Amino acid sequence: MRLLPGNKPRRTPSAIMGRHSRFQSSEMAVEIESKREQILTAMVRVVGRQGYEATSVADVIEEAGTTRTTFYRNFEDKHECFLAAYDVLIDRVFARIVGECDAEQSWVDRVRKGLATLLDFFAEEPEMARTAVVEVAGAGAEARRKHTDALTRFTAYLDGGRRLHPEAELPEHISTMAAGAVSALIFDELVAERAGQLPAQLPELLFAMLVPYIGPAAAAEEMRRAA
Amino acid sequence: MSARRRTAELARPPEGRRREHWRPPRGRHRLPPEVIARSQRERLLAAAIDVVAEKGYAATTVADLTKEAGISRTTFYEMFEDKGACFLAAYEAAVDVLTRRVATAFEAEQGWLARVRAGLEALLSSLAAEPRLARLALVDVGSAGPAAQRRYRAALQRMTPFFDEGRDYAPNGRALPANTSRMAIGAVIGLIVDEIEEGRTERLSELLPEVLFATYLPYLGPEAAAREVGEDAAPAGK
Repeated sequence: MRLLPGNKPRRTPSAIMGRHSRFQSSEMAVEIESKREQILTAMVRVVGRQGYEATSVADVIEEAGTTRTTFYRNFEDKHECFLAAYDVLIDRVFARIVGECDAEQSWVDRVRKGLATLLDFFAEEPEMARTAVVEVAGAGAEARRKHTDALTRFTAYLDGGRRLHPEAELPEHISTMAAGAVSALIFDELVAERAGQLPAQLPELLFAMLVPYIGPAAAAEEMRRAA
Repeated sequence: MSARRRTAELARPPEGRRREHWRPPRGRHRLPPEVIARSQRERLLAAAIDVVAEKGYAATTVADLTKEAGISRTTFYEMFEDKGACFLAAYEAAVDVLTRRVATAFEAEQGWLARVRAGLEALLSSLAAEPRLARLALVDVGSAGPAAQRRYRAALQRMTPFFDEGRDYAPNGRALPANTSRMAIGAVIGLIVDEIEEGRTERLSELLPEVLFATYLPYLGPEAAAREVGEDAAPAGK
């Protein structure tokens, strides 16, 4: 995986070298790093395909083309690996959104572009989308907290709508409400195996994201413009 | 609805009390077989809710269910193919009870604002009174596989008619997207699940102003929604 802005600091080759001093060459350390990433990507894909509970470490190492030894050198167990994989997945989605949106000047344009980027990514990577939005619910309380944090991060990035109404006292929870509405629509499409149709949902999702701030008349107008 | 009536619907004692299952008398008796079968099934569904809430879906075994319900393995497999089928039946029963309570409260009122308020009040108080049922219906269902995820989606869709009346009430309701109700439900459920995850299920009724606001929001916009929630919060007979 490429190093993208927004990624959390990960173990660098030199850090791995420090931990495993028997690895002499930096090529070897880089190789270990890339194995770790292959395992993380494999975890996201397999869980998206068959669900968290039905996924075994054996499935993940087969998908990653690696060994049990390599898996357990990097992770304590399936759960720890999933949590790490989920972080990387969210960082990746977020980095892509930030990369696409930062040039947008107006808040509405930024929301539209951010949603479109998210929906395109999910349509291209339906397995990753299922893991990010649907299967995460089955991976325990910590995973669900990571999901909630990801939604918060997403909406906080797009939460410029408050500035449009400095006089209005919008409730603190308003971005949670927008996130709940948007993720409900995405969840429904993914559960129905319709990830490919998500980009076509952009107008409705834009409405959902804007309506808490600008009200139904103006949000419906933006929805029509996006159609 | 009294606590007794409420729990009778799920054939189990109130949470926190000692379980005292009703069982048919031992030995020869004249109860028809279908009555016995129904009581076993109800005990099993109630057991599924309790065990899954306690151990999580993945860790729950058929043996846990038969032990908790006091039935034999043979009887279990006469009723259900596997743990998943039993969980789905328990889930459906729980959703039926919740939807019925919401519908009853909703239909007793006049006007969308008051109807939605009553329906949401019933939903929150039902979930608060039975934290295990709340977890099963909104949290554990996510871990029980694709069939359960589809049931969850269908269950939330059963709530859409209560919200959809907002389109007639809203000033420009026809211009709103067809899935506005699903957005409102998503926002409401998101707020409720946050409370459950934070361990505040028993205080869910306090969330009424927020969930009302989230419901009115896409139909009325932020200012009108805040105004209506404020007026609704005033004492009755205002």
